[in-house]
Amino acid sequence: MTRYVAFRIAQAVLVLWGAYTITYFILYLLPGDPLSLILTAAGVEVDSLSLEELARARAHYGLDRGIFEQYLALLGDFLRGDFGHSLTRNAPVSELIAERLPSTLSLAGLAVLLSVVGGIGFAYLAALVRWRPLKVVLNRLPSIGFSVPVFWMGLLFIQIFAFGLGWFPATGNDGFESLVLPAVTLAIPSAAVYAQVLIRSFGDVWREPHIVTAFAKGLTTAQVQARHVFRNAALPVLTLVGLQIGNTVSGAVLVETVFARAGVGRLAQEAVLRQDIPVVLAIVALSAGAFVVVNLIVDLLYPALDPRIARARSIA
Amino acid sequence: MKRGSTIGRLPSVAMAFACAAGLLLAACSGQPDADDKTLRIAFGSDNTTFVSLDPFQVWWIEHRIVLRNVAESLTDQDPTTGEIIPWLARSWEVEPDGLAYTFALRDDVTFSNGTPFDAAAVKTAFDANKALAARNPSVFGATYLAGYERSEVIDDHTIRIVLSQPNAGFLQATSTTNLSILAPESYALSPEERSRGRIIGTGPFILESYTPEVGLRLVRRVGYAWPSGAVRNPGEALIERVEVSYIPEETVRNGKFLQGAVDIAWPRAPFPDADLRLFKARGIAIHSRSLPGPALNLFPNTRKGKILADRTVRQALQKAIDRTSYAATVYDADFPVVESVLDTTTPYFKTQKAKLAYDPEGAARLLDAAGWKPGKDGYRYRDGKRLTLVRNLLTETAGDVLVQDQFRKVGIDVQLRMLVAGEYAAASAAGNYDLVATYMTRGDPVILQAILDPRYSRGSALATNAYEPGTLARAQALFDTGLVTTDPAVRARAYGDLQDLLIDEGVAFPIYERIWQAAVSDKVRGFTWTAEGFAAFNDIEVRR
Repeated sequence: MTRYVAFRIAQAVLVLWGAYTITYFILYLLPGDPLSLILTAAGVEVDSLSLEELARARAHYGLDRGIFEQYLALLGDFLRGDFGHSLTRNAPVSELIAERLPSTLSLAGLAVLLSVVGGIGFAYLAALVRWRPLKVVLNRLPSIGFSVPVFWMGLLFIQIFAFGLGWFPATGNDGFESLVLPAVTLAIPSAAVYAQVLIRSFGDVWREPHIVTAFAKGLTTAQVQARHVFRNAALPVLTLVGLQIGNTVSGAVLVETVFARAGVGRLAQEAVLRQDIPVVLAIVALSAGAFVVVNLIVDLLYPALDPRIARARSIA
Repeated sequence: MKRGSTIGRLPSVAMAFACAAGLLLAACSGQPDADDKTLRIAFGSDNTTFVSLDPFQVWWIEHRIVLRNVAESLTDQDPTTGEIIPWLARSWEVEPDGLAYTFALRDDVTFSNGTPFDAAAVKTAFDANKALAARNPSVFGATYLAGYERSEVIDDHTIRIVLSQPNAGFLQATSTTNLSILAPESYALSPEERSRGRIIGTGPFILESYTPEVGLRLVRRVGYAWPSGAVRNPGEALIERVEVSYIPEETVRNGKFLQGAVDIAWPRAPFPDADLRLFKARGIAIHSRSLPGPALNLFPNTRKGKILADRTVRQALQKAIDRTSYAATVYDADFPVVESVLDTTTPYFKTQKAKLAYDPEGAARLLDAAGWKPGKDGYRYRDGKRLTLVRNLLTETAGDVLVQDQFRKVGIDVQLRMLVAGEYAAASAAGNYDLVATYMTRGDPVILQAILDPRYSRGSALATNAYEPGTLARAQALFDTGLVTTDPAVRARAYGDLQDLLIDEGVAFPIYERIWQAAVSDKVRGFTWTAEGFAAFNDIEVRR
């Protein structure tokens, strides 16, 4: 087990390094001049400077070094925990992220929770309904849930629940109320995926012979559903929860814009547009880190849910 | 008994659930506490290119609205006549050579930190701004301060400001937010600290907090009693707080406004026709004002080898733009049609209406004469090369596409090239474009120099590329005349000639009058424009 965990952690570090490196080189290869961005952010226009002043400024910001040299310097600082200074915002990257992270963490956290609860709840509902037409509708609904664009869903919710019914504020960062609509919006695509997969798995598992055995032992439908069906059907969903973390990060960009929340998603969007390399790198590393950690947890949960996996591993 | 207790418990569980749901709803349904003392304003996006609330450095007009109510200036500008009127200075005298201004200051004014407003404070402010402009010549306020040499404190409430070169725009500059006077304490801080919102002024409001991209809050200054003559309310503001939020998504911003969660919706671009009709149907007042300074112009790149180096082609472009249908289709039937390089609210505006008439046949004749002949695909060609012009853009609007289509009708292929901020700055500086648009807002034509005079402009590539060399010299001579003389008649002639020149030589292609509009709820009274298109919040009253 220890060896397994160590192996997985090594793998995680490799993934992080890969994400960091690929992002760096993509940003570096984009057309555009980081120097003019830095100067604009400092209130200086790039073409008001002479060539000599430009060369001095370039050297001052370390932009006169080669692509690999700059990369190694950034990576070195990063490993020491120094995320550097934003090129366009006059502030250290760690400060910018620390400012925005709580808002995005609460949004993403609530969205993940809602998507898991909502997705499983919906699948249960679909499984319990016996009336055929309604069952068909419920089985088809999840595919709509993840094909509708997030921003459109967000605007629709704002229209109905903020402007129409007045239950929640349409925008803002203050308190739990302002978190509800964006979190629900962000949760829907993931919840739909979980529900879709779970409904399929329920169907498959119900047809397996051990279900007949379970009924023969005298268990009720509810007991069979909970102990024998759900536990078997839940494994693919667990895998998906790990994968959907990535979608939650990208969804946050849209949701934060629509609901005018200042979070890491919008910071990422602005930073990409302005080629603010240190900020983008830090956000990529952060989301890759979250992705890796969640998937590690998911991996470690498998044996707990399915003893066959633990046994298979010990035999191997 | 057992069964009974289960039944007995059920309602209480249901009750608890209903209460919880009820509480949640009750908590949620109350929209942000709206009272008579708070004014809520929603703008579009915050400035993410340059995060700053320091009056001297700020060009972002939404910030200047806010600053107008926090920091005050020596003079004010009358919004109807454009005349300069007293504010923190009771009166002033200009020496005949135009090189020195003596201001008699009010003696009853204090900064919000309690320190008195006096000649020493004014000197500190001007000297600190001069030092910043010396360190960073492209700082936005630098053109306002052009020529400033030193301040002499005559007595506590008299100051003599000496210029090293004449600057006819200087008096108007003293009325702007950019040369507003902050407390000496603010200038002891670094420009970066001021940018983050650590500013102390004499205004009717105090800046309480600023969170970039989220919003800011102002609170009323108790004991305020020194507005300029452009404001009706002689004392403290009628409202206690102003809450500004930045809402980038247009539908959400308008929705919040219609819902009553925001009192003023104030986006950068004018409202589309559909929104206007919706607002009008609900009895909402739309306040419009054309922003002083240049209209929205396209500027050509006339560098050697570029298609627009040819004056005849530029003149054809001027005739190919249908400005009337632009105003009517992109905005609405009442929208004014642009008439010059400058907006109508700019002093010394001179109409160029006749020269800016839509004349596609004339444009075609000019293009024929320049050797660009129609090809089979509807576009014009010369020596097998298509007449293709590249226009760089950060965001694309319906208007940009309309102009593209108007050019297409006379056989000009305009490529709208969308660039991210990083590429845009680099492409502009390197001259990789044929057409580009930019603007700035100020109630004096001197502002044109910040765009079109390479000696003063912040983006000198645009300024240099816009002229053929001979034209540049003529334009600079007119700029200089307008700048050095304080005689209004001479200035009027110089700026009139300049507007003629810029249109005749195809240095600028006006597209639309820069109107900006605020949708103001019927709960709000007393909304009026300042000369530069901002608003004085101390005249505003909220009644719910």
